[in-house]
Amino acid sequence: MKNRLRELRAARQWSQADLADKLGVSRQTVNAIETDRYDPSLPLAFQISKLFKLRIEELFYPAER
Amino acid sequence: MHAKPNVPGAIFLGNKDYSWTMDWKVNGWLFLAAVISGASDIMFPHLVRQWSLPWRMVIVLAPFGAILLWMGSLARWIRGMDEMHRRITTAAVLFAVSATFFFVTLWHGLERAGFFEALIPGRASWDINTIGHSFLLLTLFYFVGHTVFNRRYE
Repeated sequence: MKNRLRELRAARQWSQADLADKLGVSRQTVNAIETDRYDPSLPLAFQISKLFKLRIEELFYPAER
Repeated sequence: MHAKPNVPGAIFLGNKDYSWTMDWKVNGWLFLAAVISGASDIMFPHLVRQWSLPWRMVIVLAPFGAILLWMGSLARWIRGMDEMHRRITTAAVLFAVSATFFFVTLWHGLERAGFFEALIPGRASWDINTIGHSFLLLTLFYFVGHTVFNRRYE
């Protein structure tokens, strides 16, 4: 899966550490999600969606074949 | 704001996240088990063997009580991690336990078959059968496993 986390975070001028604090995860996890190395669980995806006030489908999308 | 989750680096000596307090909180009981076991290995042949059976059992079983407490503190530490670190650390612990079990049983088999005796005739037993040995192997295999599993997410 790919995601728009990096661009949305940058738009709000949050650092990865800031976003990690807001989500209750580590900075390494935020980095792994942004670089598409880790797909968050459903509860975490919903948490991200709530934080950015966007639907999950507007945040995450399948990688192009 | 959420409470900061536990991070694996907190028990890695030399890591920027290393915390002596957290390392002791997580692994203190395991260290104690290794020390008690080591002390009893030294004392047993000469001193403890003369004690009554109930006291000998207390000495032999004491490290295992500490190990059970260590398992509890390890589980609590892992539960306090975020989901990604919990996945990596659980995999590393599973690998460490499996690899230690495999290594110890293989080594014991080779020792019993006389392999090491054939390698170096006349040397003392090389059997690794103490908690101290297992402690060292668990630590080594945990760091190996964690390094391997963490790579995917770096």
